[in-house]
Amino acid sequence: MSSANAPQMSKSLWRHALDSLKKDRYAMIALAVVLLYTLIALLSSIGVLGANWSQEVGASYAAPDMNNIFGTDIFGRSVLEKTIKGTEVAMSVGLVVALIAIAIGVVVGAIAGYFGGLIDELIVWFYTTFSSIPGIMLLVAITLIMGKGIIAVYLALGLTSWVQLARLIRGEVIKHKDREYVQAASAIGSSHFRKLFIHIIPNVMHIVIINFSLQFQFAIKSEVILSYLGLGVQGQPSWGTMIDDAKLELARGVWWQLAAATFAMFGVVLAFNILGDALRDALDPKLKGK
Amino acid sequence: MQKMINLTLLVSLLVGTLSCFKSEGDGSKKTLNMVITAKVKGMDPIYANDRYSNNEIARVYEGLLEYHYLKRPYELIPNLADGMPKVSADGRVYTFKIKKGVLFQNDVAFPAGKGRELVAEDFVYSLKRLADPKLQSLGWWVIDGKIKGLNEWRKKYADLPKVDYGEEVEGLKVIDRYTLQFTLSKNFPQFLYALAMPFTYVVAKEVVDKYGKEFLNHPVGTGAFVLPRFEQSNKIVYTRNPTFRKKLFPSDASPEFKKLGYLQDAGKPLPLLDKLIVNIIIESQPRWLNFQKGKVDYIGIPKDNFDSAVIPGKGLADDLSKLGITLNITPSLDVTYVAFNHDNKLFDNIALRRAMSMVYDVERGNKLFYNGTALAAQSVVPPGIAGNVNGYVNPYRGPNINLAKKLLAEAGYPNGKGLPTITYDTASSTVSRQQGEFFKKQMEQIGVKIKVVTNPWPEFQRKITNRTVMIYGIAWGADYPDAENFLQLLYGPNRSPGANGSGFNHQTFNQLYKSASIMQDTPERTALYEKMNRMAAELVPWIFGVHRQSYVLFHGWLKNYIQSDFDAGVAQYLDVDLEKKKELRAGM
Amino acid sequence: MNIYSYTFRRLLYVIPVVLGVSLIIFVLFNLVAGDPTAILLGKHASASQMAELRHELGLDRPWLAQYFDVVRSAFTFDFGRSWSTKQEIFEMIKAGAIPSLTLSFPAFFLSTVLAIIVSLFVSFYRGGVVDRLVVFVCVALMSISSLAYILFGQWFLAYYLGLFEISGYESGFPYFIPYVLLPIIIWMVLSVGPDVRFYRTVVLDEIYQDYVRTARSKGLSERVILFKHVLKNAMIPIITYVLIKIPFLILGALLLESFFSIPGLGSITLNAINGSDFPVIKAMTILSSIAYILFSVFTDVMYCLVDPRVRLK
Repeated sequence: MSSANAPQMSKSLWRHALDSLKKDRYAMIALAVVLLYTLIALLSSIGVLGANWSQEVGASYAAPDMNNIFGTDIFGRSVLEKTIKGTEVAMSVGLVVALIAIAIGVVVGAIAGYFGGLIDELIVWFYTTFSSIPGIMLLVAITLIMGKGIIAVYLALGLTSWVQLARLIRGEVIKHKDREYVQAASAIGSSHFRKLFIHIIPNVMHIVIINFSLQFQFAIKSEVILSYLGLGVQGQPSWGTMIDDAKLELARGVWWQLAAATFAMFGVVLAFNILGDALRDALDPKLKGK
Repeated sequence: MQKMINLTLLVSLLVGTLSCFKSEGDGSKKTLNMVITAKVKGMDPIYANDRYSNNEIARVYEGLLEYHYLKRPYELIPNLADGMPKVSADGRVYTFKIKKGVLFQNDVAFPAGKGRELVAEDFVYSLKRLADPKLQSLGWWVIDGKIKGLNEWRKKYADLPKVDYGEEVEGLKVIDRYTLQFTLSKNFPQFLYALAMPFTYVVAKEVVDKYGKEFLNHPVGTGAFVLPRFEQSNKIVYTRNPTFRKKLFPSDASPEFKKLGYLQDAGKPLPLLDKLIVNIIIESQPRWLNFQKGKVDYIGIPKDNFDSAVIPGKGLADDLSKLGITLNITPSLDVTYVAFNHDNKLFDNIALRRAMSMVYDVERGNKLFYNGTALAAQSVVPPGIAGNVNGYVNPYRGPNINLAKKLLAEAGYPNGKGLPTITYDTASSTVSRQQGEFFKKQMEQIGVKIKVVTNPWPEFQRKITNRTVMIYGIAWGADYPDAENFLQLLYGPNRSPGANGSGFNHQTFNQLYKSASIMQDTPERTALYEKMNRMAAELVPWIFGVHRQSYVLFHGWLKNYIQSDFDAGVAQYLDVDLEKKKELRAGM
Repeated sequence: MNIYSYTFRRLLYVIPVVLGVSLIIFVLFNLVAGDPTAILLGKHASASQMAELRHELGLDRPWLAQYFDVVRSAFTFDFGRSWSTKQEIFEMIKAGAIPSLTLSFPAFFLSTVLAIIVSLFVSFYRGGVVDRLVVFVCVALMSISSLAYILFGQWFLAYYLGLFEISGYESGFPYFIPYVLLPIIIWMVLSVGPDVRFYRTVVLDEIYQDYVRTARSKGLSERVILFKHVLKNAMIPIITYVLIKIPFLILGALLLESFFSIPGLGSITLNAINGSDFPVIKAMTILSSIAYILFSVFTDVMYCLVDPRVRLK
């Protein structure tokens, strides 16, 4: 549903949003959780944490005990270390996918909304077509072409999840392009590029920010499905492959890999969900809860 | 909250009522519940190129020969043939008598719906179908270039609009109603094995003509079970064939089976079951859970899956043996290996290949993936068939890290310096991925860097065929019990898209293979096979893995079960003890 | 512009979209995905046999002709035969549709009803502990991987507690019911989170409208207001949301069908993906795309009909 007069974001509104965020206790906890995961991911990527994930620390499929609080996997590797190392994959997948989706979504949506006419028709046709194809088919096709590995995972997920944002941005840009401030910019001879990216886009950034946190958690969850299809991350542990391993293990009573990966994922996805809701409430009261 | 409670009550009531609908099956009928792990590709013998489709076809259709159910090593015996064939002195002409009075199963394709008698002409028709250029059969390779005149026949009709089955082929002759003669174009001692494979099973022309392209959904054979219509679903239900000929449970067996009492049913008419239900369960978790609940009578543990059902070195886990479940471990005729792509110049360096073989700890891999029961492969031919050298040890079988390091330095890559990262491709199953990770860890010990890439099976095959791999992990299972079927994997002219995926090409080896492949089963041939097997070990065309064992768990009520590498048609020998089933299932 | 010409124009728009879908499918599966013959022929394939098969499958024909085949199949639904099972694809789809529907329809219906009831319930207590708790539970439910639900649900509820069938399917009513119960429950758990969150916002949007204030000032009870007035007005966005989800039911639930051995469209699709069975993948893609487009037209038109505020553009 359209809102006739969306508030123009100004400095004071951003500050206001920030203030209301700060007051939201849950949002602050969620933010802290996200930061913690980010820290773990960073430490793991520079080798401080999780570097020993490939070492054997015990017997094959040892149940959780004092030494290995999450037990061991088939090779006797620590499930805890794997979970930590998996954080790196999850956070990077979330981040890169969200960035790719946002880059495509914003550019495509903004161009369609701003120029209108034939360009708009074409872009709308393209994304309608694109979004009518089931996501799983596109994922499979893209990995078929790209081959395997984390890059393929980034691209497959990034390239298939920009449509929603493009739609929203297009709608917002259409609303904004006839506003006074844009006309003023035209009057002083600003280029299309300048008007669009310097003047209009900052005013629709709140949508992007809300979308970012949604995309982030969506990508983390999707990585599991890719792993199930055998198209996931290769050569290093990810939560997706750990959950996928469970399909051979759980029936024999080995529950700890599933539990550890699910629990780790639960924490960060939940945090992003809560953060996303809080951001939406703070930044765009009109969109509250959608 | 009151409403919530009501809702819960309602749901539990609903579940309770519905369990009454559960079809437990008729308690007095002997029904076998099997499970397979992949979809069946239809019921046309000429397309049966995977083990699952193979086995389904063999429940309805039959061939001239079969493997004796109770004998090891594998022995071919007549099935539809009346006795083994007469073979001419030059070994090229095979004359078969076929059994009289064998009936095709009833089907509307026949006059009055009554199946007619099987005749020699049916075999000629079925083999021509296998060769039909328009049908793209998947089993053409078993007779390609073997039967006199058949290749010419196939070629002639490839570009013509219609294939004429009436045209006689020199090598496929009907002598009389019950006599059949094959003439081979060259000596091919493995020919008889081909006649036990489902590709060559006999079909009736009337049925093929009647159903056309839908023939694959209307199986009509001479076998022990009938399936009126095949449907792509999650289960296939067969019933006993009422017009099945008199075929008896064998009354002789190898000593080991005799001892275990497998001759209890000797002389009883087959099949022993009334009904056969094949459940298709692709995911391993539900498959396993269904077995433990007794809804499936036996289950193969995936060969590459270390399993906590089986305690390493001990056998079956206690909780399972308490339920009356038995574990059966049988060596299978196969070999796993990591192949080098010999098109890649890097692997011309034999010292590098040897170094990598030397560091690989096959016994550890065996413990991790095969529960420690597989046999380390010394070369390509598995034990149990002629050509395997008993007690032979591959000189490059490790692990010996120091020697491997020395070899690597000899190869020009001391501690892996200067060696590019080697890509290891494998299939995308969870276990294949884990095996890749294991291989990577092994190679790390001498500084060889490996990158593991997993692929969905089709893509993996495509990569091997197009030779865009560096090294890859795979396995080969026997098509028939003859070393030739393994040695051909290293025969140069067989390079992919033939079976030789690694592209290994060694002149001496090729020559030996060429002469051995047309020899009859003689001590000379065995000596040649052994020589080639040794060569394969020393040249390290692959890093040899293991010869696996098959694990099958079965419930106490399943009778006569024996594992086989060639298990087409075995369901007719199986039986279910209904009393025992009732008793055991009560405890589950 | 009246509603008929609007509908007509929207329907006309289906054509370029179907052409676009065909183009994408063609590019992905005919041009770049590579040669499937090696897969289809298996481990004994020879080069000449592969060439013959390529010819047989029409893969050596000009690209334009191959593209037209894709387009034609989108309009005639004649998808040919599966490469791996050699079955008529249209027949496979027909056979798979019923098992899929017996799972997806009740699951979808029940989860929608449940979500609407819960959202009305929490709107009644908006802002309170119950509301916040339910919203939190919804978000928490959404934060667990669907694969984890399936694995755990099957193991714990079906095997360990023995409440449900582990897997399988019987065709015909009512025999299928025991087999779809657990998948339905898992489906509901998976979808109740996002659904409740959405419906709750819709309901809350309405609650703060002027007419609710008026009704309240007239002394109507909160319950009457919620069920009679609010629900009626909230129905429009709810129906839109429901309708637009229907086309996604076509593929069924890939994972659920696969783990519970339900021989539906989802498991057909998954099997095709695993076996590089391109004709089946293409057919399923085309079908679900067309369903998606038609349903979005339908939704738009309905929207115009029920909500006069929407201008016909």
